[in-house]
Amino acid sequence: MTGGYDDELSRPLEGALEASTSEGPTSPAVGRDEWVARHGDNRTGRTGRLGVIEARLRVVPWWAWLTTFVALFCLVPVASDSGYVRRVAFDIAIYMLLALGLNVVVGWGGLLDLGYIAFFGVGAYAYAFLSSEQFGVHLPTVVSIPLVVVIGAIVGFLVGLPSRRLTGDYLAIVTLFFLQLFLTVTTNGDDLFGRNVTGGSNGILNIDSLSIFGRELAVSKEGGLFNPAYMYVVLAVFVVVYVALRFVNLSRTGRAWRSLREDPLAAEVMGMPVNSLKLMSFAFGAAIAALSGTFVTALSASVFPLSFSFAILIIIYTMVILGGAGSQPGVVLGAVLIGILLELLRDPGDSRVLFYAAIVVGVIAVFRFSVKLAVVVGGTFLFGLVVHAIAGAVDNAWVNGSGGEGGGVADFAANWVIVPVDLASWIPPVSYISLIALALLLTLVHGWVRIGLLIPVLYVAAFVWENVMIAQPEPTRFIILGLILIALMIFRPTGLLGEKRVEII
Amino acid sequence: MKRRGMSVIAAVAVVASAFASTAGAGSTTAAKTQAVSCKGTLKIGFTAPFTGGAGFLGNEQLSWAKYAVKTLAPKYGLKIRLITGDTPVEQGPAIAQTIAQKFIADKTVVAVLGPSTSGNVAASSDAFFAAGLAHISPSATRTSLTKGATRAATPAFFRVVPGDYIQGPSDANFMIKKGAKNVVLFDFQEPYSEGLSDAAQIVLKAKGVTTTRLSVANTVTDFSSFVTKVPSSADFVFFPTQKPGDAQNIAQQLLEQGKKAKVFGGDGSNDASQFKVPGSFVSNFAPDISGFAYNKAVIAGWKKDNPGEALGSFGPPAYLSVQVALNAIKKACDVGKGSIKDRRDVVRNVKKIVVKNSILGGDFRFSTKSNDPLNAKFYIFEIQSNGSYKLVG
Amino acid sequence: MDTFIQLTLNGLTLGSVYALIALGYSLVYGILKLLNFAHGDVFMVGTFIGFGAIQLLGGTVNPIVPVWALLVLITLAAMAGCACLGVVIERFAYRPLRDAPRIAPLISALGVSFFIAYSMQLLFGAEPKNYDTFSLNGGALYTDGFDIGNVRVPMIRIITIVSAFVMMFFLWLLVTRTRVGKAMRATSHDREAAAMMGIDIDKVIVFAFVLGSALAGAAGVLFALRIPTFATIGFLIGLKGFTAAVIGGIGSIPGAMAGGLVLGFAESYAQGYISTRWSDLLVFVLLILFLVFRPQGIFGKADIRKV
Repeated sequence: MTGGYDDELSRPLEGALEASTSEGPTSPAVGRDEWVARHGDNRTGRTGRLGVIEARLRVVPWWAWLTTFVALFCLVPVASDSGYVRRVAFDIAIYMLLALGLNVVVGWGGLLDLGYIAFFGVGAYAYAFLSSEQFGVHLPTVVSIPLVVVIGAIVGFLVGLPSRRLTGDYLAIVTLFFLQLFLTVTTNGDDLFGRNVTGGSNGILNIDSLSIFGRELAVSKEGGLFNPAYMYVVLAVFVVVYVALRFVNLSRTGRAWRSLREDPLAAEVMGMPVNSLKLMSFAFGAAIAALSGTFVTALSASVFPLSFSFAILIIIYTMVILGGAGSQPGVVLGAVLIGILLELLRDPGDSRVLFYAAIVVGVIAVFRFSVKLAVVVGGTFLFGLVVHAIAGAVDNAWVNGSGGEGGGVADFAANWVIVPVDLASWIPPVSYISLIALALLLTLVHGWVRIGLLIPVLYVAAFVWENVMIAQPEPTRFIILGLILIALMIFRPTGLLGEKRVEII
Repeated sequence: MKRRGMSVIAAVAVVASAFASTAGAGSTTAAKTQAVSCKGTLKIGFTAPFTGGAGFLGNEQLSWAKYAVKTLAPKYGLKIRLITGDTPVEQGPAIAQTIAQKFIADKTVVAVLGPSTSGNVAASSDAFFAAGLAHISPSATRTSLTKGATRAATPAFFRVVPGDYIQGPSDANFMIKKGAKNVVLFDFQEPYSEGLSDAAQIVLKAKGVTTTRLSVANTVTDFSSFVTKVPSSADFVFFPTQKPGDAQNIAQQLLEQGKKAKVFGGDGSNDASQFKVPGSFVSNFAPDISGFAYNKAVIAGWKKDNPGEALGSFGPPAYLSVQVALNAIKKACDVGKGSIKDRRDVVRNVKKIVVKNSILGGDFRFSTKSNDPLNAKFYIFEIQSNGSYKLVG
Repeated sequence: MDTFIQLTLNGLTLGSVYALIALGYSLVYGILKLLNFAHGDVFMVGTFIGFGAIQLLGGTVNPIVPVWALLVLITLAAMAGCACLGVVIERFAYRPLRDAPRIAPLISALGVSFFIAYSMQLLFGAEPKNYDTFSLNGGALYTDGFDIGNVRVPMIRIITIVSAFVMMFFLWLLVTRTRVGKAMRATSHDREAAAMMGIDIDKVIVFAFVLGSALAGAAGVLFALRIPTFATIGFLIGLKGFTAAVIGGIGSIPGAMAGGLVLGFAESYAQGYISTRWSDLLVFVLLILFLVFRPQGIFGKADIRKV
């Protein structure tokens, strides 16, 4: 068989064989053209030992992954008795729940919901109404939480109603307005027709903690430390929600969502109840968000309108998109990664480690183990040493800035990156903007020019990170999230574990 | 898909290494009753917003707190390190609880400076109290923290500045003294301004002054239409903003629309470089500290460390808070004979502290009835035609 | 009556700024069908460029050029800077996604928006920046002007309103009377047909971004003349600008202008007459109703898709 068309025919066969051993028989999903799908799946599997490991990993059933993950998660409070670490674990568990909910709306329903956080707030406030002195109602947890879930679903349904006729961008805006509406109502709710409903900007305090079957779960243990029982409760709920959603996804509704996502017009023409499907995904997502709201509220025993801002929404979105919208294990992974990232960024020492680790991992991922990798790593290292030496020789004050915490990495950095003692005010903007300009330039060149340019870019990036960004974790975290979103959309819209969508034009 | 495995493995590796590095952050297996030696380095945690919308507050306080630790700790024979926890306002009160956990977990933290914002005090005071950590705030002035039927703060909370329950009435009384008959009060739908305006409005109404209340969303930037609602007969516009630029803005707009009302800003609008329309008033919990002769050395030293920076009004209370904290730590060390056996010893000793010739003027001591300063008062300044602030009340 | 005149003046001032921003949204949406979330942040960058320009020109107490020249220069600087920013954003964040599903450039736009806003906060701090036009000529901009009845119309508002309308007029001329404008209209009508007719789509798109961003920059300076700006203002003002575009009919130039003014008046009257507390809420409810029942806006045509 000589080249050309016949070769193309012969290759899919081999590819399919490999594909079928490594990931099971590929069957084209609804909306995918068979040739395109198979050609897309036809990738050389990794050869050698890694390939075998990967193949084995792929065969592991989903519940085994879930169990392992949950088991590892449960070990965190055992491994560390620091209230801080356990509290972070709790926060991440909440993020995982929220990500699952958003996945239903964005990943499965294909709807861009920018008001998702409002449902989180609705759940929080609903729980506060049902379990505090605000209205004198104190329902037991077993009653109040399901009630809140139902309330969340109803609110989601109501918000979804206007969405029936709106396309993607308009829906995004309407939901965004709903969020603003929610914020306005809760902030001003202490004067609603003369009655104090939502406590206004002061929020509602002294909310009951969770009580499981009559036993109250104290918010903190002796010494004011966070009670890990809360984390376990959220984890248990997470497992239940995960499994339930998985079954929903595998059912008719899930398949209907998938076809709705792939081609809404075709789905409608085929007679699918598009509106009901959209409403259902809204309601599900809202219910899960409301559920997460209850736990956070019970733990902090208070609720304030300020906690539900658009910024948190972006965090959840990044988690979902990074993990892969539409893939449950993906969004959970995304939640864990971003959650840890955000916590690490709070501390300068950890931020430093994170930066260098990310650079190393990134460079390895792009160049694999090759000559180029050696050139880049070695070149950057040498470049840095040279520049540092020159700058130090010119004026000692240019390089003797505080090294800071971070152990060995900080010592290394202090000898490599230029950290001036006194940062002139023009340095941050100039270096930052030059970094952006150089990075953009990087995308325009190719080949060895690109590699050559990469070296100073990495160095300037280290400079900017050390001097400008570490000290200010708040804007830095959003800058990084924004960058992640942009990069994901351009280079890898399916995220880490999402399924590849093939769109027929 | 061929990259999927690689990316998962890479992601797991990053997570693992991240965990490894966080394991160092604050995980101590120390027994809860282990004493901390006063000869080693003790830590004071400082939680405030250092970035975000209120970042200027935290940073101003930080510069003074650092200076206090640097100059005062040796005088008490202590080695103190200041560690910070950033609580940007955009992240709401939940972050305050996470930072609280961070400080609580670290056994060498024996006192906490802050939380600087009242909302964060409300959110984290319970945890600090349960952990026995004294938290001394240089700027959380919300009345409900220490007063009222349901106090939002615990007995481990202290503040070195008077609460809004003093500022509101004192501002109102000043306006009455100036012959005000018609006052418009603003609030920005957040606790600080609402509390202040509520307190001031009560006093004004009791004295027969006509009051109008305008509630503005925190997100509004153009006050034109609100200014339009200010009656032309109004004498004062009470404007408890936390952004001096907004106070300047509304003063300009009042002039622009030909209203005769003068702007009265709260302590949040104190900034001579931003708010400088002549004829306006500002109230503050600290007088100009350079008016006290014994502060000269301190001011000179601070200026050397912070060249080109204005003294500010939020910073000096932070200095005082550190001073109180160091005092209490020293006393606790004495009680424990060279070590602090229980952080609660620090809490027990805070109330008894008297600071002579404190940086804010006069002697400082806590009131016996609450954890607020005794006999604290607010000072009122008038903005002169050259933009400087003159003490008038 | 005075109150009404004053509120109308407020609405007009605010509305003209909204209209300029709305025009930027409309221009881009018309051609790319993309909601440029980052547009509000381009506006914010314009305010900061203006601020920086003022500092470079000596500040407002003693500027090194006369007041008129100062204002013109900072506006031009902001327009130029924002135009460049718009081009960069389009080239690197939107162009690679031109053929991707609709949700991809939207999310990319969200990312760009956060990136720009927080980069500015990182570099320049979170405190508000005040142009301090009050110090120009000893406050003359606020006290000079003419009177309508008992209401004074100060110079600074006249500048804002007149400049905005002049720019809108020139834009309208450009879009309707020049070849480039015709190319833009053709591309927004049917991109593929326009390409087949020999129009360089890439250039048209870049031009739309240049125009829209320059207008946003100008709007930024006009806005910040009276109101202090800060790094995260872009989100809210952008939202308002976008709402104005939708009310007027997105993709339509006169629609954007009308929508901006309508929104300005609505806000002003709601705040002045109804209640300061709930004015925001009323505006949001109004918008949601508008979007649900008449998504094509005042001037737009209902979008009927042919299968």
